[in-house]
Amino acid sequence: MTPAARPSASPVAGLADAYARELFGRREDPVRDFAGQAAAVAAACHDMAIRFHRGGKLVAFGTGSASTDAQHVAVEFVHPVIVGKRALPAISLTSDIATVTGVAAHSGLTGVFCHQLRYLAAPADIALGISADGNCAAVLAGLLTARELGMLTIGLVGGDGGAVASGHVVDHLLVARSRDPRVVKELQVTAYHVLWELVHVFFEQPGVLSPGVVA
Amino acid sequence: MIDDDAANRAGSANGSAEMTHVSRTGGPADGSMESLYPFLYSGQTDITAVLDLVRQSTVAKAEEILELRREVRDAAAARLAACAQDMAARFTAGGRLLAFGNGGSATDAQHLVTLFLNPGADARPLAALSLASDPAVLTALSNDIGVDVVFARQIAAFGGPADIAVGLSTSGNSENLLRAFDEASRRGLLTVGFAGYSGGKMAELDTLDYLFVAPSASVHRIQEAQTTMYNILWELCQAALGQPAQFRPVPVDS
Repeated sequence: MTPAARPSASPVAGLADAYARELFGRREDPVRDFAGQAAAVAAACHDMAIRFHRGGKLVAFGTGSASTDAQHVAVEFVHPVIVGKRALPAISLTSDIATVTGVAAHSGLTGVFCHQLRYLAAPADIALGISADGNCAAVLAGLLTARELGMLTIGLVGGDGGAVASGHVVDHLLVARSRDPRVVKELQVTAYHVLWELVHVFFEQPGVLSPGVVA
Repeated sequence: MIDDDAANRAGSANGSAEMTHVSRTGGPADGSMESLYPFLYSGQTDITAVLDLVRQSTVAKAEEILELRREVRDAAAARLAACAQDMAARFTAGGRLLAFGNGGSATDAQHLVTLFLNPGADARPLAALSLASDPAVLTALSNDIGVDVVFARQIAAFGGPADIAVGLSTSGNSENLLRAFDEASRRGLLTVGFAGYSGGKMAELDTLDYLFVAPSASVHRIQEAQTTMYNILWELCQAALGQPAQFRPVPVDS
């Protein structure tokens, strides 16, 4: 990696270095805040494990940058990075470009996920809606449809949680408290990595997955 | 998945990297499931204990990513700033960003592209293409030739000397990335790699202008630190282009 070790000699470069370091620093408080939501993470993992145990699947959705997170979540569960972890069923609603653009062109973007959920989801399933500000109309509508269907609903949102938080539309809400949508995204990546890994802790102990077992 | 390398995957077969991390924070050191979660093997169903352990594990993982980001900051901040300057010069010359990766890193490539192309607010949109988004191209190349060429062939087709090739891998060993960097370097593209662990084979390349490594054994923490690095790279690139760092702020609780 010889070429990578490029010295930064000029004052401008020095300022840029300081700016880069400051940008890293912006990430710290939001992570600590996320750690403070650990009990909510544990509760969400438990309910997710119960749904998987009953044969449910995870259905993830989001728009823009969050659409890539939905795909990441799906591959995380379907193709576990840790050998020995069982594959769990998960799909992303953002990968079928024909349906997404088809529904959007015909009846608007807001109802895209609702349409897919009505035909692809079952009551035992888990809906995971991802939105940086919690105000994405398509994600909000999708979570409402999921709730009507009887799915477990989880919101990964940022900022103050937006309409997803204020409307109390989800069973489990994890809020990445940052004003910067990119910092929000980084926290959401951590959140779904942790959800994936720790679901397995419950899943490997079926005794805690009976409907009557509550904390 | 997220891992893009079979050998690396096999390496974490016993005592997975993730669980090993948990043990660092105080549990037994051997990393086995039984040592880490003894109650799972006690024959009891103690949901409160399970929830408490999951809560503690969540806090431990948050601490891991805090620490890894500090390491990455110290190792990479100056080079990220220099890389952003070089990228800004390419964009100014009419260049485009071409991003690629496998598995979870493919979603990072797509994220990176939409961040540059559609940043929102007052940030400046910049030309960017994901080489991991077209199933027709990816399956055609995989089926007809092999997965090793899926990115290199696209760089041969689309890449010009003003462009920027950004490849993301957790292992640093993905053959299709190594070949893509080779093709990109031959064609004069600026080459930027993101890797984990100790950089893998990507650390040995002479075809990479910049390599940013997230030094962790956890695929998950690696990806989280890489996300931070490329988000910061984008922000520095906007600044280098004279665009004040802008985003439409997400409302927060006061």
